[in-house]
Parts: sequence; C-alpha cells; structure tokens
Amino acid sequence: MKNFRSMAYPYVVWAFVLIVIPMLMIAMYAFTERGNSVITFRLTLDNFKVFFSDAVFINIMKRSFYIALVTTVICILLGYPAAYIAANLGSEKNRMMMVILITIPTWINMLVRTYAWLGILQDNGLINSALRALGLPAIKIIQTDFAVIFGMVYNFIPFMILQIYTSLTKMDKSYIEAAQDLGANRLQSFIKITLPLSLPGIISGITLVFLPAVSSFFIPKLLGGGKYVLIGNVIENQFLTAGNWNFGSALSLIMAVIIVFLMWLTKKADRDPNAEGGL
Amino acid sequence: MKRYIAVILAALMTAAATGCSGGSGKNEEAIQKYGSDTLKVFNWGEYTGDDVIGNFEKEYGVKVINDFFDSNELMYTKIQAGDRYDVLVPSDYMIERMIKDGELQELDKSLIPNMANLTDEVKGLEFDPELKYSVPYFYGSVGIVYNKKNVPKELVEEQGWEILKNTDYKGSVYMYDSERDAFMVALKALGYSMNTEDEDEINDAYEWLLEFNDTMDPSYVTDEVIDSMIGGIKDLAVVYSGDAAYILSQNEDMAYCMPRQGTNIWCDAMVIPANAENPALAHEFINYILTYDASYDNSYTVGYTSSNEEVKTYMTSPEGDYYENEAYLPRVGYELDEVFHDNQVLREKLNLLLTKVKSSTE
Repeated sequence: MKNFRSMAYPYVVWAFVLIVIPMLMIAMYAFTERGNSVITFRLTLDNFKVFFSDAVFINIMKRSFYIALVTTVICILLGYPAAYIAANLGSEKNRMMMVILITIPTWINMLVRTYAWLGILQDNGLINSALRALGLPAIKIIQTDFAVIFGMVYNFIPFMILQIYTSLTKMDKSYIEAAQDLGANRLQSFIKITLPLSLPGIISGITLVFLPAVSSFFIPKLLGGGKYVLIGNVIENQFLTAGNWNFGSALSLIMAVIIVFLMWLTKKADRDPNAEGGL
Repeated sequence: MKRYIAVILAALMTAAATGCSGGSGKNEEAIQKYGSDTLKVFNWGEYTGDDVIGNFEKEYGVKVINDFFDSNELMYTKIQAGDRYDVLVPSDYMIERMIKDGELQELDKSLIPNMANLTDEVKGLEFDPELKYSVPYFYGSVGIVYNKKNVPKELVEEQGWEILKNTDYKGSVYMYDSERDAFMVALKALGYSMNTEDEDEINDAYEWLLEFNDTMDPSYVTDEVIDSMIGGIKDLAVVYSGDAAYILSQNEDMAYCMPRQGTNIWCDAMVIPANAENPALAHEFINYILTYDASYDNSYTVGYTSSNEEVKTYMTSPEGDYYENEAYLPRVGYELDEVFHDNQVLREKLNLLLTKVKSSTE
C-alpha cells in the first residue's frame, strides 16, 4: 500500500500548479494597484474600498446568494424524490439506466444547452410561438427571475440527484427493516432513518449546486438578457470588458472567503451529532 | 517501481504539452532573412479571412501563431504581464494609450511599401495622425440596426439615438453591453461629446441610461446580437458596423442607420510592440495584409470596412459583395462623429455607473 502513495505526487504537482498558484495570483492582484507599465508591486486596499463604498456591489452579492439559495432549495425538493425513486428501482440494470438518463444532459456542454433554452424561452421562441399558434397571449419568460433560476436548476440538478442517489444506495437497508419491525410506518421510518442517513449526500449536493450557482455568469447573462447582473457577471466584466483584473480579483477573493465560511458551516452541521435526526 | 511509472507519465505529459509546437522542420531561408521563422500575432477573434494566414505561411515559408482576444483591455493586460507578440491589432484609443506608455515601436515604412494602398479615410486619425506606429486594418462606425418592417426609416433618421427610448418599441431593444458604447449612445443622444469628462454631462448620460433601462426593458448583449438580429427577434439594436453589414446581408428586412446626433468612428490597426521578438517578419506580415488579396479576403469574410482603397471601392461597387449595404461604408467628414480617446479613470467610473444602471431593475 505504501507504494501507492508516490502515485499521488503528480496530483500534488498538478494541484499546486492549477489551484495553489492561481489562488496566490488572485490574492496578489487583489491587493495591488494596477500597473501602468510592466508589473509593479504597489500594495493597496483600494480594490476592497471600491467594493464597500457603493451599495450596488453588496446588493448584487446579496442577490447572487439569494438566487443560489433558491436554486439549491429547488434542487433538493426536486432532486430528492428523483434520487429516491432511482435508488428504489430494484434491479441494478434499471438503476443504472436511470443514472445514465440523469447524466446524459451533462455530456453536452452547459453553454450549448443554455443557448438552446434561450431559443426555447425567448419572446418569439418555441414556447411563445406555440402559444401564439394556439391563439393564446405570449408570456414573458426571458429576462425574469424565473428564467435565471430555471436555467440554474436545469443545469445543476444532476449533481444534486447523483449525490443523494449515491448516499441512498450505500445505505444499509436493514436499518429500515429494523424500524419497521419495531412498528414504525413508512413515513416514520423515512423521516427517522432514511433522511438522516442520506444527509451527507444532501450536503455534498448542496456544495456542488450552490457553488456553481452563486458564481455562474453565463446563465444570468443569456437567460437574464444581460440585465440580470449577478456577482459572476461583475467579475467576468471586470476581467474581460473593463480590463480591471485587480478589482475583479478582489471581488473573487471576497466571494471565496464567504464561500469558504459557508462550507465550513455546512461541514460543521454535517459532523454535529445533534443535527442527526433533529430535523 | 510505481514512482518510475509516475515519473514517466509526468514526462510524457510534459512532452505532449510542449511537443506539439515543434511540428515541421525549421525553414533556414526564413531564419536567414528575418532572424526567425515564427511570427506571433495577437488579433481579435473572427477577424481574418479564411486563407489569409495559411497563404502567408506558404508564401514566406514561416509559421504563424495566431492568438485571439475579445477586448482591448484583455489584450493589454496580457502584454503588460509580459506576453510577447510580434503583431497586435488594437483599437484607436488603446493604440493611443500604448504609444503614451511606450509599449510600441516606430514602424520602418520602407519595409511596408503597400501602405500606399491605404484609403485616405484612415489617414490622419487623431490616435496616430502620421501612422508612425500603426497601420489601419479595419475601420467602421457604431449605429442602429432596425427592422424596416416594424420601424419606419424616416422615424429612425429623425429620432436617431432617441428612438431607443421610443416606448412603441418597449421590450424590443438590444443595447451593446459595454460601458464605452452605452455611454457613447447616451452622451451623443444628449448632444455632448462622447469623450466628455464633465461631471454634469456624465450624470445626465447616467440618468438617460437609467430612464432607458426602466422604460424600455432592454437586453444587454455583445456578440449574441448578430444571431438575434438575423433571426429578427427584436426591432432595434446598437451594433458595430461590420456586424451590421453581416446582419444586413443575411436578413433583408434589416437596415442600418448612423444617427444624426453623431456616433463613434473607430479604427483597428496593426502595431508592433516594443518587445517584439521578430519585428522584421512583423513588417512583412503587415505589408502582406495590405495586399489586395489579403485585404479582400479579410473584408469579405468579416464584413468590416477594408483599409485598402481598392478593396473598399470594389466591395461597394455594383459587382461587390457589399453593394448598397449601408452598414459597410461609414460616413465621412460628419462633424458630430468622433473617435474615442484613452481615459482609463473615466472608463472605470463609467463601468461602475453602467453596472448600477443594469442592476437597478428589480
């Protein structure tokens, strides 16, 4: 076994080059002034001052977290039953089929799929053309909260389902049998046994959905008509349009700190034995 | 044992990553003549004709590494971070700034005899009046693309930029998602200079955009506007002339108007950075781009106005590909039209203001 350890070295190098160094560079950019020529190392807190000096960024941040939260909750509410059904399909073959069906959409690039939804949802897209053909009034879907949240749920729900599915299939079924032997009905055994045991799956699902949702920029850009500014859009804009890498990095760093804190909270909730069964 | 496998794997991966560029053998002749047989070009995406680079490589026996950027700022940040290229194609105001920062080298015009092919309209522009550092590549304007079926031509011509606030077209407007272009529209609509630094004028423009945002329910887009307007999804859009020329050629209901209040005339030009590794070949490349064939291929494919007089004349002639396409040829000498000037401080301020405008809708 000891020999396998050395197999991890390439990964360590990989992680260092692709994760640690970029993170350090973001921190470096965030705390430096933009150079007017070559790279200059003048330390500054101005980038952070800009963020806190105008309510607009804080409001955008709040909205981003709100949208991500709603997305995550919907993903749990829709994803849990889906995962539950998939996990209880009986035969191994059926379950594999279900997993494949859930993951098929992720084989296609997210951007392409979101573009497809743009075509379906927009003012004279598929839905509105159909409505008009039926003589019904067109409805405004694009550029609304609904469109953005819909796009996010659509894109991220497979991650939630798979996490919950895995924890449900790994679960020892004899616990449920024991509960039923002791007189618990199906609802009781679900609430007392299945749900608490699948909690780790839900929590890692939350991580996998919330993180990309809070920083997503192309979904609000495409389905929100560019008007729906979230923090990911501001960061993208600072890097690509405004060319202010320093402010963009400061925003990314603020986001990273908040997210790390939230992840620490969820991890804590996960480990806390009192949280189990306390739902 | 496992360690060796890991080392071998790592070595293979590095080899695969670096090996690709090795490719074909060196061309001694080109190395003799230019000092190197590789040219690094940094250009806008979708900005060259299909065969331009390939033909240049064949003709001169060299290899071209063509990288792409999608904003001047992104390009310049990379240059400042130490990336080395031989030819760049920035826009007017960015060239102005790079000259100021001493990032460009003066061109040796004796190596670019084809500069004689340039049209007069790209000469004497303020960012580099004597073309000491830059050779124009494309030029054009910003205007309104509108659907002739739903918006009368006279109305667009009469209202100019103000038509973007005409509530008859609520929900049917695309604004260009960049602070530079959005504020240009607002400032011009109000009759101010788009290069203004006056606080009150900027504030007026901010109010204009806020009102526009609240009353018109616009979409803010960049390149998506091309497909959307070809599909006829909305009636009005703020569009760069080259994209407009392409839209007009694909959907005959669409028309282009350069608003009466004046607009932005811009020019993208080829420059050689001060730290270029291969300036001799860079001059050769610039000279090659100015030939009729290369300029034609570029302009035909991309739709922007060629800086080559002969190509431009042909394109707009009855046999040409952009005959009677009002977006292809920018108007000349209209006194309300302006060229952008570099002003980074102002730009950051406008960026913040546009973010506020866009996020003001709840």
